[in-house]
Amino acid sequence: MASLSTTSLSFKAPSTRISQVLKKGSSFQSVTFGRFTSSTSKSLRLQISCAAKAETVQKVSDIVKEQLALTADTPLTAESKFTALGADSLDTVEIVMALEEKFNISVEESDAQNITTIQEAADLIEDLVQKKPAA
Amino acid sequence: MVSRSEVLSLCRAMLRAGRQYPHYNLREYTKRRTLDGFRMNKNLTDQSKVNEAYAEAKAQLVVLERSVKFHSLYPPKTKNIMEVKLQ
Repeated sequence: MASLSTTSLSFKAPSTRISQVLKKGSSFQSVTFGRFTSSTSKSLRLQISCAAKAETVQKVSDIVKEQLALTADTPLTAESKFTALGADSLDTVEIVMALEEKFNISVEESDAQNITTIQEAADLIEDLVQKKPAA
Repeated sequence: MVSRSEVLSLCRAMLRAGRQYPHYNLREYTKRRTLDGFRMNKNLTDQSKVNEAYAEAKAQLVVLERSVKFHSLYPPKTKNIMEVKLQ
């Protein structure tokens, strides 16, 4: 019985090694992509971070307007800072909570503390919404 | 010594905990009350008072989490009228 168990173990071991090699292989591929096309990947990243959809920005602006009780004609651009619109840090917390509920996402502590403008909020939302279905 | 970011984290934690109530009225009350509570003490300058308020809020957070678990055992059977979208 002991011999049987050892043989079964020996069968398992190579399969795990193979899977590890496969995983390593895939990671190597990603590394080479990074090395060869590092400049383009960096620029791609920049594009992704700037290109939050206008629709998302609009939804964020609507929520901000509602939370801060702004009149309909206050100038609200993507680069507007929350503090410039009259929000204090508690208002910002409230806004982030409202955004979490609206988009059904979960913002981390560290991310939540760094949101200062509407554009940043929209970018973070896009990022999280993209990651969610993949997970 | 309680820092600004700790206070904001506590506020966020309380709001998040309050969101888990299955009951509309408890959810809304918790949200309103935590924001009002934090806003009331927003302008405290005396550090000892700030620490006191922080400790109080922390104790309330423990109570809140326990309460959420308890209320989740008896969720409401029908949707609250306020949660129904206007048609």
